[in-house]
Amino acid sequence: MSAARDLRGMPTITITGRAAKVMRDQLQRRGTPNARIRFGIRGGGCTGYAYLFEFEDREPRANDHVFTKDGVTLIVDPKSMLMLDGTEIDFETGIRGHGFRFKNPNVQDSCGCGESISF
Amino acid sequence: MSTQGPSIHDTGALFQIAEPEERRAPARAPGRGIGIDLGTTNSLVALAPHGDDPKVLADGEGRALLPSVVSYVGDRVIVGDAAQAQQEEAPGQVVSSVKRFMGRGLSDVDFTHPYHLVAPSQGAGVLRLDVGAEGEPHLVTPVEVSAEILRVLRLRAEDALGGPIDGAVITVPAYFDDAQRQATRDAGRIAGLNVYRLLAEPTAAALAYGLDRGGQGLFAVYDLGGGTFDVSVLRLHDGVFQVLATGGDSALGGDDLDRALAAHLLGRAGFDETRPPTRHQRELARIAARAAKEALSEQGEVRVSVAACGIDDLAVTRATFEELIEPLVQRTIRACRAALRDAGVRARELDGVVLVGGSTRVPRVRAAVEETFGRPPLTDIDPDKVVAYGAAIQADILSGSAREGVTLLDVVPLSLGIETMGGIVEKLIPRNATIPIAARQVFTNYSEQQTGMQIHVVQGERELASDCRSLARFELRGIPRLPPSMARVEITFQLDADALLTVTARELMTGVRQSVEVKPTYGLSEEEVDRLVMESYDHASDDYAARNLAEARVELGRVALAVRTALAEVGHLTAILPAEERASIEAALVSADALMREASEAEAVNAARVEIERRSEPFARRRMERALLAGMEGKSLHEIESVLAAEEEHLDERRGGHSAEVIDG
Repeated sequence: MSAARDLRGMPTITITGRAAKVMRDQLQRRGTPNARIRFGIRGGGCTGYAYLFEFEDREPRANDHVFTKDGVTLIVDPKSMLMLDGTEIDFETGIRGHGFRFKNPNVQDSCGCGESISF
Repeated sequence: MSTQGPSIHDTGALFQIAEPEERRAPARAPGRGIGIDLGTTNSLVALAPHGDDPKVLADGEGRALLPSVVSYVGDRVIVGDAAQAQQEEAPGQVVSSVKRFMGRGLSDVDFTHPYHLVAPSQGAGVLRLDVGAEGEPHLVTPVEVSAEILRVLRLRAEDALGGPIDGAVITVPAYFDDAQRQATRDAGRIAGLNVYRLLAEPTAAALAYGLDRGGQGLFAVYDLGGGTFDVSVLRLHDGVFQVLATGGDSALGGDDLDRALAAHLLGRAGFDETRPPTRHQRELARIAARAAKEALSEQGEVRVSVAACGIDDLAVTRATFEELIEPLVQRTIRACRAALRDAGVRARELDGVVLVGGSTRVPRVRAAVEETFGRPPLTDIDPDKVVAYGAAIQADILSGSAREGVTLLDVVPLSLGIETMGGIVEKLIPRNATIPIAARQVFTNYSEQQTGMQIHVVQGERELASDCRSLARFELRGIPRLPPSMARVEITFQLDADALLTVTARELMTGVRQSVEVKPTYGLSEEEVDRLVMESYDHASDDYAARNLAEARVELGRVALAVRTALAEVGHLTAILPAEERASIEAALVSADALMREASEAEAVNAARVEIERRSEPFARRRMERALLAGMEGKSLHEIESVLAAEEEHLDERRGGHSAEVIDG
């Protein structure tokens, strides 16, 4: 559980310039340039862990971690932060389509076949 | 049932920014849900929009009851009173009481009926009725016939609402099996209805009286319909009704009261076996008897005239009528006593008795019910409409209307799981999963001595069971004595659309099972959900540390136990375990015991476990080799290797058995 150790320092999320630009464009296109984006981990247990990555229209809550990059605000709840610390959010375009890629150092490949992943 | 959002299956996955949960919630139309009582004899539709009191919708001529009769005469489909009028001339082409055929096969039809049935061909398909004229077969399924009735009711509701309806709650008898329920759902779908849910008739009646508001209680529902009698015993627990027992008589109904009186009238008019009444006369006498029955509920005597039968101003007293129906009433009472017995409930334990069906207006019936159950029955709501009212209230809630004291949930507000060794919570259904949902996970035994498993169902986001809400505890007994992690207990969580959770534990070798039902949302306010979620955020890192420690202790305990068992078995054989090696292992076990008591960090506990494993590894290897040699004498190296591989595979399987899955539903 490296996340617990990392919490002693300041947790970080890195957003690449390319990812920040796409987020800003999508917020503009949605008509909510000042909204935020919420990044988190949902689930656990039977459905496995899943990333949550969605528009957030509300103000951050008291315990939320807030990150900004090139005018884009990213919010992470404290529980998810334990499993997201050190993650880099990048945006990729390629033959498999385009989208955000999360490079999360806390993910531990548990079974070797790549099918399921645990922290 | 798919999982929520993208799960982390592949590190190469690319993600898009999604809209927040609320916006993705299914669109609802508050106030546009309808309740349908699809009866054997009559059907009704009711509305209770936006928390209003329910009301039954009438047709253009003010008739609320729609006879459950469909006519196919002349290849036209007619439903209701007009269809009933054609029944006498074309009994084979006018279908009544089709509910008796719903979801049934040819062999289930053990009652008399005037229809020509067509069996399903080669076991496939369903039973059909030939409703064509002579020589012109016209096959319809019971589902299609029911759909015609539902369609008429749907149109009636659309007229009343001035537009499309969102969905419907349809009532079914409590004893309907899965096939009968599915047939009812299918009929709804064919009629163009979004069937929110099927609701048991007695539960609907109880809901109409608002009996659910008390939270707890035991109730009986006495339902004397036109052609059927049903009695149900319900238990209300944490706001959820459970049918404890049902009973009744499918060949006894209010119509039998009419027939008994009609036979009496005809007898007094001089008809007997030598001079039987015509079919027409019998029918007229029945109609007159029905009117007389209704009048006798209000007055002590009634005078009856049926010119076609030669009945002229015949006086019938209530006492005579009561004498005629007494054998029928006693049959219903016997069924009531049997249902109470089946439910294991004494009459005086009941908190209320509900009457359903028009014939429960008969004073003798009410008196008999009161004698049997020891309390006056609830009679405020029209017994013909009470089931439809309950369905309408439920439909209104499901359409998204706000009703006092009712919260409707689409998602699981807090995760649901069970407590495992060391007080750790294993979550089976995660927070925010959409309901209905089911999940199962296989757990194994901890030691060979374990023959039972305590199942503690908890709710919450914290990692330790002691920090979560406790929902239920039960014990699964009869687990066979097997080496550690060889017994397999499957735990299934099933959360239905009412947010009622059924937890079932089943030992896979013997099949022994045990289950419990709870309502996780009962007594849980939105503020409390928020508080519990925020607490889990505040305690996130402490919780992880505590969980890691608990897990480490469980692992250490498991390894220490396994090593001690091996020592007790073969530790005295110095060929396998030299004395100095034994001393080293025992020293590691002693320091592990101390850590089990004192350690506050997982790292130290894990280190102690690794140390035991390291020191005992040569012993374990020698022990394994010895066991294999004993079993493998005279076998080739190749054979031994394949046995080892199989063993390894088996171990993997056991490890794999620990991951949970969501059941497709």
